[in-house]
Amino acid sequence: MQIISNNLSFQYPDSDTKVINSLSFSMHGPGFNAVFGPSGVGKTSLARIIAGSITDQEGDMYTKGITTILYSYNMERLPGWSSIGTLLQQVTPPGREALLEELIELFALQNVMDSPFTRISLGQQNRSNLLRYLVQDFDLLIMDESLANVDEKLRQTILLHIKERFPDRMFLSISHNLMEVATFCKEILVLGTREKSGKGCILQGLDLQQDAVLDKDRLDQSMLEVMNAC
Amino acid sequence: MLVRRTYQFLIVYCIGLASLLGLKYALSLSDYVIPSIPLILETAGQVFSDYLRAAFSTLSVTVLGQIISIILAFSVGIAGRKSSWLGSFIRATAYNIQAYPIVALAPIIFILLGDGFLSRLLIASIICYFPLLLSVLGVMAAPVQEIEHFYQATGRMSWQLEVKIRAFENLSKLTTVISGSATLAMAGTIVAEFIAANAGIGYSIRTALYQSDLAKIFVALFLIGIIISLYQGLLENIGQWIIQKKLG
Repeated sequence: MQIISNNLSFQYPDSDTKVINSLSFSMHGPGFNAVFGPSGVGKTSLARIIAGSITDQEGDMYTKGITTILYSYNMERLPGWSSIGTLLQQVTPPGREALLEELIELFALQNVMDSPFTRISLGQQNRSNLLRYLVQDFDLLIMDESLANVDEKLRQTILLHIKERFPDRMFLSISHNLMEVATFCKEILVLGTREKSGKGCILQGLDLQQDAVLDKDRLDQSMLEVMNAC
Repeated sequence: MLVRRTYQFLIVYCIGLASLLGLKYALSLSDYVIPSIPLILETAGQVFSDYLRAAFSTLSVTVLGQIISIILAFSVGIAGRKSSWLGSFIRATAYNIQAYPIVALAPIIFILLGDGFLSRLLIASIICYFPLLLSVLGVMAAPVQEIEHFYQATGRMSWQLEVKIRAFENLSKLTTVISGSATLAMAGTIVAEFIAANAGIGYSIRTALYQSDLAKIFVALFLIGIIISLYQGLLENIGQWIIQKKLG
């Protein structure tokens, strides 16, 4: 699995400046990767280009060994006419009911299955949204701040479990959480400020696995590298 | 909602009547020009039951006309929600026709269809239809991206689901527009009855107008106001009930 960008540029029609300027990189899967950078450097635009919802970019963006790409983001909502449990069951492909149940428990959503989407917290909303993507067919899942508003401990549990449960899939996490990115991700695409645009570089994260011990020195070093690359 | 609508109308009606009576006594106008309260009450006693029947006849046409226009507006609105040439054509046509005073077409309908139920129904429907259509088009053509994205990305989106999402997300707006369109439907029916009809409260008003009997017109206006207030209040209550049931 590979995501390859070659001299990629993108500018919104109503804007004077390029949000992505001559960006080249190559990212490998399967595994948990990330796009990191300050606000406004084009992380979401890049994600949408990879997902195919933006198509009028310049340069090349293509994938190898990836057929189905899903893009989830943290502002998504589930419809309000049914309970979360019913809606999740409706979108679960046949044969994945056990996976759904497993993820409901892992995501600590058992108690809100009978509630409508509007009655649960933002963190629960984001978890239930991500959960429905995980039971779909995909090769690459882009998670654009998909675990925002979820407490640190649960985020860690979820991320480690996803990595263990879906070892043959590729994930691309878009996050502002430096520690999370450095700890859990294998490859980190760091997008710099606009002045440094085009100089996006791939750094190695710790790629922490379930039951592994975190090396704090390596984590500090990885975080420093990411910060300096921005 | 039902009670509030009714007493709001009663306040407006009493203010209007009091203003006319004030004018009558200030200018010493005769009962022939502006009838006194006893004369209005006496007339009400004579015509109330006939006028009530006529008002219900108007209401029945109003309700039917509104139902037809709601069905039509949703059918065309759903067809016109797409950004295809057909959708663009429907939206452009609806906006242009809306700009024309549809009531001016009423004589053509009477020439073609003559007096009677069908003409009243048709005029009530078309007067109510276009404002409804614009609202439905506005709702149906606006994607709810944060809900629709998942269904599109996973290939689960169907036109029925798309319509359901957009209607549900705009339930308050749609119920308000539908209850508001009741007034338009009744205005359309009464206009039709004014122009040429053989039944309804508009027809009764036209007859009273020929007799220069303002007392009868006051009674008719009172009944129109009460009935439309009750009907609109009922629609608002139904809308509130649906919203509470669906949105919690």
